[in-house]
Amino acid sequence: MTRLHPFTLLAIAGALPALAWILPAPVGGLATAVVALALTLTPGASPGSTNTVTAVSPGSRPGLVVFRTALLTAAPFWLFLLLLHDLPTTIAIGLRVTTMVASFVWVVGALPPPRLVEAMVAAGWSASVAYVFAATLAAAPVLRARARRIADAQRCRGLSARGGLAHRLRALWALALPLILSALHEVDERALALETRRLVPGARRTSLSPPPDRGAERLARWGLVAACAAALGWRLR
Amino acid sequence: MTAALRLDGVSFSYGVVQVLADVSLALAPGERVALLGRNGAGKSTLVRLVTGLARPAAGTVWVGDWDTRDHSPDVLARRVGSVFQHADQQLFARTLEDDVAFGPRALGFERSDVAGRVARALDALELGAQAREHPYDLPPALRKLAALAGALALEPALLVLDEPTAGLDRALRARVTRALLERAGRAGAGGGGAALLVITHDLTFAAELLDRALVLDRGRLACDESLAGLLGAAARLETLGLLRPPVAELSTALDLPGRPIRAADAARVLARVAGGRADP
Amino acid sequence: MTRLILERVTFRYPATEAPALEDVSLEVKGGEVVALVGSVGAGASTLLLVAGDLAPRVVGGRLEGRVSFDGDGPRAIVLPTPWTQLSGMAFTVWDEVAFGPANLGLPRDEISRQVDQAVVRLDLEALTSRDPTTLSGGELQRVIVAGILAMRPALLLLDEPTAELDPVGARTLWKLVRTLAGEGTAIVVATSELDALPAITDRVVWLERGRVAATGPAALLASDALVVANMGTTVAAVWRAAGLPAPYPLTVAHAAQRWERR
Repeated sequence: MTRLHPFTLLAIAGALPALAWILPAPVGGLATAVVALALTLTPGASPGSTNTVTAVSPGSRPGLVVFRTALLTAAPFWLFLLLLHDLPTTIAIGLRVTTMVASFVWVVGALPPPRLVEAMVAAGWSASVAYVFAATLAAAPVLRARARRIADAQRCRGLSARGGLAHRLRALWALALPLILSALHEVDERALALETRRLVPGARRTSLSPPPDRGAERLARWGLVAACAAALGWRLR
Repeated sequence: MTAALRLDGVSFSYGVVQVLADVSLALAPGERVALLGRNGAGKSTLVRLVTGLARPAAGTVWVGDWDTRDHSPDVLARRVGSVFQHADQQLFARTLEDDVAFGPRALGFERSDVAGRVARALDALELGAQAREHPYDLPPALRKLAALAGALALEPALLVLDEPTAGLDRALRARVTRALLERAGRAGAGGGGAALLVITHDLTFAAELLDRALVLDRGRLACDESLAGLLGAAARLETLGLLRPPVAELSTALDLPGRPIRAADAARVLARVAGGRADP
Repeated sequence: MTRLILERVTFRYPATEAPALEDVSLEVKGGEVVALVGSVGAGASTLLLVAGDLAPRVVGGRLEGRVSFDGDGPRAIVLPTPWTQLSGMAFTVWDEVAFGPANLGLPRDEISRQVDQAVVRLDLEALTSRDPTTLSGGELQRVIVAGILAMRPALLLLDEPTAELDPVGARTLWKLVRTLAGEGTAIVVATSELDALPAITDRVVWLERGRVAATGPAALLASDALVVANMGTTVAAVWRAAGLPAPYPLTVAHAAQRWERR
């Protein structure tokens, strides 16, 4: 899985939700959801890299972590759907949403930002566009480390997470707000740092170690796009 | 009198890496101690053990008469006020005063008591003028002072500080020194002033504020002696990853009697030896 | 030859009336080390941003006066907080250091050479395959500096470069600053480590509330004006406090010399 080119991974992550919505419910949604969830059980990104999902939820085997995260993220959607719709509609939409969530969580786990940036740059994309993609994926480990530091500091100031709901909410506030504020506050400095290191719009970056792109994968990617288009055509007929 | 802090044969490991090995030390109330050593020598880990964020693998950490194993960090906060590195990132209240009040409020003090503590803490660090400001409207240096004020407002028996002067200019460093000297000198809960345990690379600051030096080297306590004694021997300092600060160097170079390590003391001795009068 | 000129520069941050810099003039040539000293908020960081073409271009705000830069390489700044300067796009320290040169579009073998040299200079050989997000503050600061050096800047701007470093690490970095100047780099450094400056700086600029209060050679750090303002070296301050007459010695070595002669 990890030896696939980043674009292939993205293509799969994009095709599954597309097919989920294009193909007739609930079968289409079920099939794609199953495939997407199966993907979350495959081994994650190569060891030695901090991939976002294992950074967000530490411990246990990477495969299970991604799977659990996908289910946990999809769960609230199912809840809302149940409140708003009847059972058949809930299942139909729920499966599609599950596919989207699972595909997204899988690709975030399987695709480390540096590989994606290298692939995009090697393919001729502008470096700053590549960065926008990568930064979203890379933010989590940094924020997680800081969240832990902030939690430690607040606990040492007397913050306890025990007690009633109101108390727990106040505790969450004391943890989340500094994280958000400090992260937002640093956005400017980050922008300056990237500018000084010449990551500017239109920059033509040298690729350091671009991931190999095999002909077979390129064919498979186009195949996926074609399959989606065909499915769309068939549905609209 | 019970020690403000005592470590009895404490060891700690992260996985297979032993970070602290059989460390024993004690701080009396009001004592001002520097915790020195190279990066990675175990200083931050020791701080985590003292605040209760981590439990020793062997040995016991006593904060007053409390075993840190028996209390969570938020309970230990009644006795240990701590400020970690990059504390400027922990602020979140709408005003500086509110943020400083966070700790005392969390510990459940009465509102009037909280107001008093906040006022005293802000006063000590001369932050009164910025009390109503939003923390993020202030430069990072003042945010660091605000975090320190938060710890002072807890009025604990032990203050544990990790690099409190990083990012501060001379004037602000002097403010911190004054505030901490005052706290250590003042009688607090349990009698005696607050004990200070300060991790710092700034040996000039250490010389002005602290009396005693604990040096960690690869997880072991390599030195436990007076700071003046430690700063007297340049060769030994370098093997521990430290450099002699200017006043101590000057004292040695000019062979000043008593080898003062504080600027004011050095000036006084220098004046006396030179036959002149020190600037009042 | 590298040359940076600020001519009567006044700069205001966006939506701020009070100028962060007022009527500041400065010239720095390749091979020179200029140190900016001043209290928090005096304008040193802002001056570096202006010199680095980040203010007002990226930061916004209004600039009056003239800034001109000529050099056979880029100008780049090392900001005071290392963790905000990580690219977030590098698996390893080596890649992180290569980030800047790669963005410059240099050929791969040149990037390799420059990164290897920067790694050696900042003592990072043991860390090249580490994940940058697992580094300590001091290691991170060295990586960021290496990343900027790998770009071979003609003008190097440093804002508190030793803040996260231990004393031995700081000494190594200051020595490197001197070495780089010897190679022709123009260097402007803002720092509160005043005692380190006499050994490495050619000129000192004292900023107070956005204005240049005084400028002169390193000996300025032993002048009465700066010592009284708590901007002098510790040795000079002690000498003055002892009631001994000016001129005050700049360093321990100077003090020892004077002491011998009395």
